Amino acid sequence: MSNHKDDMHAPGVFALSLVFLAVFIVIWFAHLKWLMDIWAVR
Amino acid sequence: MANFDFRTCSISGLKIDKASENLVRWNLIAAFATLAVGGLFALLVALTRWPSVHLLPLEFYYRFLTLHGIDALLAWIIFFEIALVHFTSAVLLGTRSYVPWLGWLAFALMLIGGGVINVIVLLGKADVMFTSYVPLKADPIYYLGVILFAVGALLGFIIFFINVILSKRDGGYKRSLPLGVFGLGAASIIAVLTLLHGAGIFVPTLLWSMNLIPNVDPSAYRLVFWGLGHSSQQINVCAMVSVWYMTSAFVVGGKPVNEKLSRTAFVLYILFINIASEHHLLVDPVLSTWHKIVNTSYMMHLAVLASMIHAFAIPASMEVALREQGYTRGLFEWVKKAPWSNPAFSGIAISILLFGFLGGITGVIFGTEQFNIIRHNTWAITGHFHGTVVAGTTIAFMGFTYLLIPYIFKRELIWKGFATIQPYLYGVGVAILSIGMMSAGAFGIPRRHYDVTFSGAPFSFTFDPAVDMFMSMMGVGAVLAVLGGVLYILIAFGSVIFGKEVQ
Repeated sequence: MSNHKDDMHAPGVFALSLVFLAVFIVIWFAHLKWLMDIWAVR
Repeated sequence: MANFDFRTCSISGLKIDKASENLVRWNLIAAFATLAVGGLFALLVALTRWPSVHLLPLEFYYRFLTLHGIDALLAWIIFFEIALVHFTSAVLLGTRSYVPWLGWLAFALMLIGGGVINVIVLLGKADVMFTSYVPLKADPIYYLGVILFAVGALLGFIIFFINVILSKRDGGYKRSLPLGVFGLGAASIIAVLTLLHGAGIFVPTLLWSMNLIPNVDPSAYRLVFWGLGHSSQQINVCAMVSVWYMTSAFVVGGKPVNEKLSRTAFVLYILFINIASEHHLLVDPVLSTWHKIVNTSYMMHLAVLASMIHAFAIPASMEVALREQGYTRGLFEWVKKAPWSNPAFSGIAISILLFGFLGGITGVIFGTEQFNIIRHNTWAITGHFHGTVVAGTTIAFMGFTYLLIPYIFKRELIWKGFATIQPYLYGVGVAILSIGMMSAGAFGIPRRHYDVTFSGAPFSFTFDPAVDMFMSMMGVGAVLAVLGGVLYILIAFGSVIFGKEVQ
């Protein structure tokens, strides 16, 4: 039976992609708040 | 084939024929020279927009800004790309250049066209900026220069197809092209479409400037012009991504984790990236909102998806290669042990980071219809494209130069210590410049504007005082970037002339 952990060729880049995803989510909600402030969207 | 003059590069193992070598060399030399000129104009323009310096008088500002666009955005990058055409379609495939005469014809046309544009603009007969929007009218010689340059570039890209087709006949490759060549193939396909748009709009504009036709519709001009103006940046993206893959392969032995996926991403560029040109017209009253949104908020993202694929595929190729070399401790030992002192490697690493975070993300935001309305024609847009074509394409090409000098010119680099810091210096400078422009643009500072204090104007308007800091930040970044650029030019020319010969 294959060890799935060994199947990942580039775990570092995979980890970085998760960091980018988290940062993206933070920026996304921050910019929504910014938009609400600027345009007074309710 | 045996009758042709081939040598084997002692460093890369590439089989290089004399005709291709000369074509790559001279296109690179022209690229270095045009970057030097474009960089000089960049410094003068930046020092004029830096409010506390405000260097140039009005007419020279717009004249030099026009030439900065022509020399740094068109000439430097396209000469380098034509060098890449010859490098990938002949040298990488191990076959000869099949039509060297066409290569020299293309080179001559580009050189003459570029020279004509520079002279006519310097004479003050074409202060129309890079976009030359009608009804701004330049001297017919200007449009003729653009057409000559574009025809030369078109012939240069056509050589790619000729070489690749005949190379297959001669056994240069078996089933599919190597990925770096495939990427340049995508660039060449986009180039043909782009340059046909150029002919489509500049030929009638030339006739109009000679009073042979009564008018050119401004909205039609804008639409077709951006089929040239922005699509030519997509040639740059494809060529830059190819350079990323090739540098990863040459420097760390990187191979794409999934080559089919990387090839598919290049195909996405071909299919969708030209459509993204529409984002230049997002405040244009002629086109419908539906039309704009379909092109920029839907189709454009398929091209962005391609960039996202490359953005992870290339670092992954490096990680796999470096792990195979034994750097397997933890998640990031490979990052620590990567060859950061090799300017070719640091060049593409900086290029990938800055292209993605400064150029790419801001491009997606500013290219969205609803956001574009608050950023259109502000300096934020200038900040965005300095994040793509300068922090992305130019730094990648600078990094690749450090490989091409030993491979093609058979010379060692001079000033190796300075070469090591050059991509960092240039990258930091361009990043500060780009962030300064984008921040000032966020406060409404217009792009291209000579004097944002509106001195002597019949009305008064003042921006938020914060803009002074951001505009000064741009100035500091520009000076750092120019220092990095000067270092690059000195190292490139110095190595070609004085570098120790590689045996």
